[in-house]
Order: sequence, then structure tokens, then C-alpha cells
Amino acid sequence: MKSHPLTIFFRMIRTGGKNFLRNAWLSIAATAVMVVALTIILSAIVLNVTAHNAIKELSKDFKVSIYLKDDVTAAQRAPLEKALKANPATASVEYVSIETAKARFSDSFQSDQKLLEGLSLVGGNSLPASFEVSTTDVDKITQIGDTAKKAEFKSIVDSVTLGKTDAKKTIDRAASARRFIVNASIFSALLFAGVSVLIIFNTIRMAIFTRSNEIEIMKLIGATPNYIRGPFLVEASMYGIIAGLLANSAVYAAILSLGSKVSSQAEFSATYTFFTDPKTVLMMLGGAILAGVLVAVISSSLAMEKYLRLKKW
Amino acid sequence: MILLDRVTKIYNKKEAALERISLHVEPKEFVIVVGTSGAGKSTLLKLLTREEKPTTGKIIVGGIDYDKLKDRDIPMLRRKIGVVFQDFKLLDGKNVFDNVAFALEIVGMNSREIKHTVPKVLDIVGLADKARSYPPELSGGERQRVAIARAVVRQPKILIADEPTGNLDPKNAWDVIRVLEKINKYGTTVLLTTHNVEIVNALKRRVITIKDGHVASDEANAGYKLA
Repeated sequence: MKSHPLTIFFRMIRTGGKNFLRNAWLSIAATAVMVVALTIILSAIVLNVTAHNAIKELSKDFKVSIYLKDDVTAAQRAPLEKALKANPATASVEYVSIETAKARFSDSFQSDQKLLEGLSLVGGNSLPASFEVSTTDVDKITQIGDTAKKAEFKSIVDSVTLGKTDAKKTIDRAASARRFIVNASIFSALLFAGVSVLIIFNTIRMAIFTRSNEIEIMKLIGATPNYIRGPFLVEASMYGIIAGLLANSAVYAAILSLGSKVSSQAEFSATYTFFTDPKTVLMMLGGAILAGVLVAVISSSLAMEKYLRLKKW
Repeated sequence: MILLDRVTKIYNKKEAALERISLHVEPKEFVIVVGTSGAGKSTLLKLLTREEKPTTGKIIVGGIDYDKLKDRDIPMLRRKIGVVFQDFKLLDGKNVFDNVAFALEIVGMNSREIKHTVPKVLDIVGLADKARSYPPELSGGERQRVAIARAVVRQPKILIADEPTGNLDPKNAWDVIRVLEKINKYGTTVLLTTHNVEIVNALKRRVITIKDGHVASDEANAGYKLA
């Protein structure tokens, strides 16, 4: 008698699909809880990326200014520049000469003629030369300041300014909110994933009881354990696939409706572009489905292990 | 075809359900096993289908030594043995055709072959016109014939029928027995357990009588001896 593995495979999928529809209410409950769990996980990812990009954008303008004393030569400032670049927290170092500083000041205050006239009256040396240092990590910005304050540079460094205090506070608050979002999301996702596992476990247990007569007959007439397990795994995987699709749709509906309103702001434009990229859309969808199927397969396997009794024939 | 060598089965430590049973059934034989309730008939059949393992002794069926049989091989063993149960074990939600096809689906036969094979077997058991009926719409005898069709559709070398006439009136019981005889004529070894004195006496086949877990008698062309 010829056995066709593909026929068996499609038969298991068909039976699993039928079981999914047969236990419609239980299937809906199991899928709904998983939709909640996956939506929380996906939302956490979106919020985390949004916060990360916003902080990065805010940090761009947050620089350490190291003002040099008058008449410091290129040879004298070279060791300081080298030390600043060697600092792991340093992203970039820019030397701003007196002329450049004056030009930038003029650009910034073009409309304030009185201020510019006052500056020309005071003389050329009113704005000092400086190093503008940007950082890779706002939390480590003081390290850069400390480098400049070392005794060996005392003869050339006039003063050190660590950006604007209010900007630092905003960044700190954003970072703290991001940490809270991540922790709360992990906790909620774990909680709902646990609830999902329990509900799917119970759904599959009910399905096993409903089909106990059929399973007994299958065992007696020579069905393999995998043939008996297959439809239950298919049924559970369907919860995961549908939940993944719904959760992803819900999160993307939020991204598109809210994101389009704030995407013009510098803090959010990169995030919006990232999440609307087709590659990201597919990755989020694939990840959600994979996570859903994984949770479903684990919980249904536990139920089958306990209630199918496939070890005793 | 079937060999049992000093087989003992003890469920609890007090009493043996079967004790040192030795049997040999030749290919194409029709053997009737009789015995009172609790004599050990069902245990004997469960040992043959490997629903139970013997406590001691050796069982060889169709060349398969059960001592060497691993759990993962049991489905393959059961595909080689057709079993008919007293309570039919049919699926009420599937029609006659699908109940029989079920045995072919689990081994991976494709739909085209199933559609070709099932009607032939339904014809053998006399149910060609009931293919679309559901078990609750059938008489007891018809249901049992569906169960026989399912048991033989894979053309097993051995058919085990565990009191298939137990729930049937005489007419239906004889319908089932005639089908079993027909299948035996096609070359399948049949092992039938029954309480029905009339059937045993009329068939005049080899009769093995089990009493208190022992083989009390084993005679060819015999009748019912318990009384």
C-alpha cells in the first residue's frame, strides 16, 4: 500500500483547519488573548525605537564646548584635540576658530543689529576659539569635560561648558521614560504570553477531549503519533498566525494614523521612515507571526504531552 | 501466522488473567475463541494488538516478534492486523464511506485511490448502497459490517473480531458471520471471540476454549463446550 507523505501533510492541515472552525468560540478566545500579547510586544518595540531615535536626535545638538585661552597655537592645542578624540564617549571633535565663531554668531543674530554693532565695538577677541565635541552617549558627557579639565591642559583651556542644562534634563527624562516603557512592556508581554499559553493549553485540552473517541480509533487502526499530533499543532499554529496578522495590523494602523501627524518633526521622522519601510513591515509581520506560532506550539505541545497519552499504545 | 508461547499476563499481583497460554494459528485459518466473561479472551486479543504487554512469554504475529517490537513500531503492526470491536468504534460524524476511508487516510493513501478502493470493500460486506449513510441511521449488523470493512480495507493478513455479534440479534449476527467467512475465504486469517453457542456449533471450525486464564480445550471442527 503506497503512502504519500505530502498527502498526509495536507490531510493534517485540513483536519487542523476543521478543528479550528469546529471549536470556533474557544479558537476566538485563544486568538484574542494572543492578539493582546503580541500587540503589547509590537507596541513596545515601536515605542522603544521611537524613544531611541528621539533621544538620538535631541543629543545631536548637545555638545561640550571647550573654550581656549587667547593666542593658543595649533601646536599647543593639538595634544588636547588628540586626547578628546581618544575618549570613547566622543563622537566628533570640531575646532572653531575666532573667525568661525564670529561668523556663526553673526549668522545667528542677523536680525539683532544692535548686538552685532556692540560686538564690533568690543573688538575681535570678544569670542574665543573653542573645540565643539559631540558625544555618542549623553550620560558620558562629563567624561569629555573631565578630559579637557586635566592639569596638562590648564595652560590652554579657559573654560568648559557641558551643553544646555535644560536640554540635558529633557534627554534624561526621555531616557527614563524609555526605560520605563521597556520594563513595563516586558512585564505586560510576559504576563499576557503566560495567559495565552494557559488559554491555548486549555483549548487544545478541550479539543483532545472532544475528539477522544476519534483519537482512540486512530491509535487502534495504526495512526502514527505524529499523524495524531499534527492537526492539533496546525490548529494551535492558526491561532498564532491569525493573532500575528491582527496584532501587526492594529499596531500599523496606529503607526500610520498617529505617525503621519508627527512625522514632519525631526525627533520622529526617522522612526516613521523606518517603520513604513517595506522591509520593516515584513520583519514586524514575520516576527509577530513567528512569536505567535511559537507560543501556540509550546502550549499545545504541553497539552498533548499531558492528555494525548501517546506514549502508551 | 500467530504464535503464543507460554504467555502469562498479570494485571495485579493476586491473579493472572492469562497463565502460560500456548497457541499456534496457521495462515488462512478461521479460529473461534470461546470463554465466559473474565476468562481472558479480551486480554488475549489485547496482547495480539499490543494494547497490553505480556508479563512473561513470547508472541509472534505475522513474523513480528513482539519482544523486539519498539513502541514506535506499534502503528505499523496495527496496520497489518484488522480489528473489529463489539462496540463497533465508528465515528458517528462521518458517513459509511468516510469511516472506511479513515483507515486509508491515516496511512497516506491519496483520495483517488481511496475512491477506487472503498466501494469495492463496501460491496464485499454488502453495504454498497449505504455509502452515504451515517452510523446512527444503520442497524447494529450494518454498523458491524462497516467496522469489518474498515478493518479489512487495508487487506491485512489477520482479522481479529472481538465479540462482533455480542450486541446483535440472530439475523444481524449471522450477516456479520457470513461476511467474516467470506473474508476468510479470500485468504485472511480470522480470530473470532464469541459467546454465541448457535454460531459456534453451526460453523464447525477450530474452537479454543479459555477458562480461568488457561486453554481448557483446542479442537478442530468443534462445538461450544463451556456448558
